[in-house]
Amino acid sequence: MALRRYTTSIDGTIPVPALLYDDEEHLASQDGVGIYDGLQKAPDYQTGSVHVSTHRLFFVHSQNPTSYSFTMDLLHVTRTNYYAGLFKSSPKVSLFLDASTALPLTTTSGQRTEIFESWECEVCSHRNPPGLSPAAARICALCGVPRSASAVSTASETSSQIQSLFSSIPESSYTSISSSSSPGPPSPPSTNDDSDGIACPACTFLNHPSLRVCEICTTLLPNIEHAGNMRAKSAPSTRPVSPISDSIDPANLLIKLSFRKGGDKPFYNVLRRALRSRAWEGKRIGHNARSGPSGLAITNPNYGPTPVAMRPSGIDGIMRNVEASAYVTQTDLNDALKDLEGLMMKAKDLVHLAGELNEKLTASSTITTTSTLASPFPTTSSPSTPGTQLSSPFSATTLVPSTEPEEAKFIRSSLAQLGLQMSNAPVTLDMIRDERRWVEELARELAGMLQGFPDDIPGQKSVGIMKDRGIVGLDEVWGGWNRARGVALIPPSTFLQVLPHLPAYTSPPIRSRVFNSGLSVLHIPPYTHASFTARIVGYLAMSGVMTTSQIAREENITIGLADEMIAAIEADGVICRDDERSAIKGGGSGTTSEVRWSRNLFLEYIWDGQL
Amino acid sequence: MALSTHTTPSGFLLPSIHSAPPFFTEQPNQSTHAHLTEKWMRLILAYARHKRLFVLRVEDAEVPGGEWDEILRNERINRRILPPYLSSLMAIMVAKNLAVYEPSKQTRAVLLYWRLPEEWADVLHSWATATGQLNTILTFYEISDPPIQSPLSGIPIPLLRRAITILSRSNRAQIIGVADGEGVRFFVG
Repeated sequence: MALRRYTTSIDGTIPVPALLYDDEEHLASQDGVGIYDGLQKAPDYQTGSVHVSTHRLFFVHSQNPTSYSFTMDLLHVTRTNYYAGLFKSSPKVSLFLDASTALPLTTTSGQRTEIFESWECEVCSHRNPPGLSPAAARICALCGVPRSASAVSTASETSSQIQSLFSSIPESSYTSISSSSSPGPPSPPSTNDDSDGIACPACTFLNHPSLRVCEICTTLLPNIEHAGNMRAKSAPSTRPVSPISDSIDPANLLIKLSFRKGGDKPFYNVLRRALRSRAWEGKRIGHNARSGPSGLAITNPNYGPTPVAMRPSGIDGIMRNVEASAYVTQTDLNDALKDLEGLMMKAKDLVHLAGELNEKLTASSTITTTSTLASPFPTTSSPSTPGTQLSSPFSATTLVPSTEPEEAKFIRSSLAQLGLQMSNAPVTLDMIRDERRWVEELARELAGMLQGFPDDIPGQKSVGIMKDRGIVGLDEVWGGWNRARGVALIPPSTFLQVLPHLPAYTSPPIRSRVFNSGLSVLHIPPYTHASFTARIVGYLAMSGVMTTSQIAREENITIGLADEMIAAIEADGVICRDDERSAIKGGGSGTTSEVRWSRNLFLEYIWDGQL
Repeated sequence: MALSTHTTPSGFLLPSIHSAPPFFTEQPNQSTHAHLTEKWMRLILAYARHKRLFVLRVEDAEVPGGEWDEILRNERINRRILPPYLSSLMAIMVAKNLAVYEPSKQTRAVLLYWRLPEEWADVLHSWATATGQLNTILTFYEISDPPIQSPLSGIPIPLLRRAITILSRSNRAQIIGVADGEGVRFFVG
C-alpha cells in the first residue's frame, strides 16, 4: 500500500548514478536488503540493494531489476525508526511517511519526463538545462525566480510538488491546500470523459491522446487526461489496478528496510543526515553538487522548514552565481596550468637527457671508428673527454665505449622517433640566451638547410634547398626552413635578421639580393649582378639576340627570376630591348609578345645616315 | 647582326641604326631612351628636309601608305614605330623647339621646324631680295606657291606668318591687309 502510494518504478538496469539529478548526490549503498510494505513483507521486493541520495531512496532488485526496482523521494519521510534486530530478525529501518504527500496513483514516468525538459526563464531568459531535481528545476538557476506558474501548473501538479513549493507556508494553510484535490488549471469537462482524444482548450481540436501540444495550434494540452492515459500504458502490470480507498491508516504508512546482510548502521546514519539536510527543498542548490557529501555536515541544525527565499534571487543572486562560477573556472584553470607547467619541466629534462645521450653516442662512435679504420663518420661535436664520459649517467651502460655503430644508429633512430633527435633539432630562443648568438646559430642552421649538412648522413652528401641551383627565392627558403623546423617557427623579421650572417657560414658564400620589384633571392657568387651581366653580354655577343625565355633556359632559372635579373641589367643600359609588338606583320599582340634582348650598341653609334 | 645604311627609292640615305630592331621600341632605360630619341628626331628632320615635308601626324605611324613610311617603317626587319612612341617623340620635339603643335591645342600633328622660323625669315628675305620684290606687296599665296620653284614653295601659311612676324620685328617686312586676305611688303633690311 505505502509502497504503491509513495514510490515510482524505475529501470534498475540503469546504474543509480545515471538516474540522479544534476544537483543530487549519491551518498551510500547497501545490498542484501528486503522491503516491508507497511508491516508486511513486500513479496516482490525481498532481495536487492538500496541506495540513498540527497534527494531519494532507490531500491534495485537483484534478480529482476527491470520490473521490481523503485525510487522514493525522501521528502515523504516524516520520521525514522531503527530496530537493531534480535536473533533471526534482521536489523530494520522504518521510514514513516507523510500521508499528505502521497503521490496520486496516476503518477508515472510520464510525469517525470515533463520535468526533464529544458525551459527558459521568463524573467531573465536564461535557458535552464534539464536534469535538475524537481525542486531545483522549478527555480531559474540564474536569477532564482520560480518558473512561471502556468508552465508548472500544467504539469499536473502533484501534491508532493506543492509541498516543496509551499514549504514555507504555515502548516495550516499548507495542509488545506494539499488536502484539496489537484489545483491544476480547470480542465474542460469535456476532455475528462472523452477517451478518444483531448480537446484543445484554444481551438477545441480533438487531439490524439498521446499528443502533448495541440496538433493544430500547438497550444499546450491539459495534462490530466494525458497522465491518466499514461497510467494505462506504463503502470507496471504486476500492480493490479484496484480502487484505492482514501482512508489510509497512518500506522501503516511506513516502509521498512530489512538489512539482511548488515551494513544497517552506517546506512541509517547517512539516511538520517540526508533527511536532515533536506536537499530537496533546493535551498543549497549549486553548492551541494560541488561540495559533495561533506557538505551535509554543515546543515542547518534546526529542522524547521527553511524558506525558499534563502536561495539568492534577483540581481544579487545572478551576481553571486556568476561570481561563484567564475571562481570555480579560475581555480580549475589554475590547476590545469600548473599541471601543464609541470609537464613542460619534465619535457625539458627529457630533451636534455636526449641531448646528452646523443652527444655520448657521437663521441663513442668517433672513438670506435677512429680506432678501427679511417673515420667515415664526420662529426659535428668534438669528442668529449673520457673524464666526462665516466661521470655521465650513461657510462654505466654498455653503450659508451663499446657501442657498435649499429646500436648507436638504433638508439638515434629511436630518439628521432620520439622527436628527440638533437643533431638537427631546431634552434630555439630558450636554448640560447644571447640575442646575437641566437641569430648566429640560426644562420648556421639555415646554412645547413640551404647547402645540406655535410655530416648529416655519413657517406652520403645531402642536398639542401639550393640543390644544384645557384639562386633561390627568399619565400621558398623561408617556407622550406620553417617546414623543416616544424616547431618554433621563424618569423620573417628574424629571418631577415639572419640573412646578413649567412655568408659566414656558407661556402660558397650565399648572399641575399633584392630586386627593384621587391623580389628577394639568395644566391651564390655566380649570380651576382656583375657576373650575371658579364655572362649575358657573352651570350648576346655570340647569338646577337636572345629572348627572356632563352636566357632563362640557358641559366637554368625561372623566367620570372630571369626577367628580374635582366631588368637589372637593362637598367644599367648594357642591353636594350626589342619589343615584338613593333613588328609590322605577325608579332605578338598585347601581353603575349616576347621581348628580345640585344646589346646596347647605340651609345657608341655615329650617325651614318643622310645629313 | 651587321647593321648597314640603306638608300630609299626616294634617294634618302637611311642610317644603319634604322636597321636595328631595338630602335623601334621605346626603351625603358632612361639614357638609352634619350639616346635613341635624339637619333629619331635627327632622322625625322633630315627626312623632312629631304622630302620638304612640313607636317608629321600620329596617323602616319598608324596607317601605312603615307609619305613618312620610309622612315617610320622598316619592312626589311619587320619593324615599325608604334604610335605612342611617335607621339612621345613629337612631344619631345615640341619641347625642344624643333616642332610646334599645329594647330595648337592638340597633340596629334606637329609642324616640323627643320628650319627654325628665324632661318625661314632669312630665307624669305633673301628670296624677296633675289627676286626683286622688295617694296612690293605680295600675298601669302604668291610666296608659298610661286610660279617659279623657290625654297619657299609649299611652306605652310602658319610657318610663313611666323617668319614674316620675325621680319616685321626688325622692320624688314610689314603685314598689310589686302582685299582677298593678307599681304606683306618687304623692305631693305
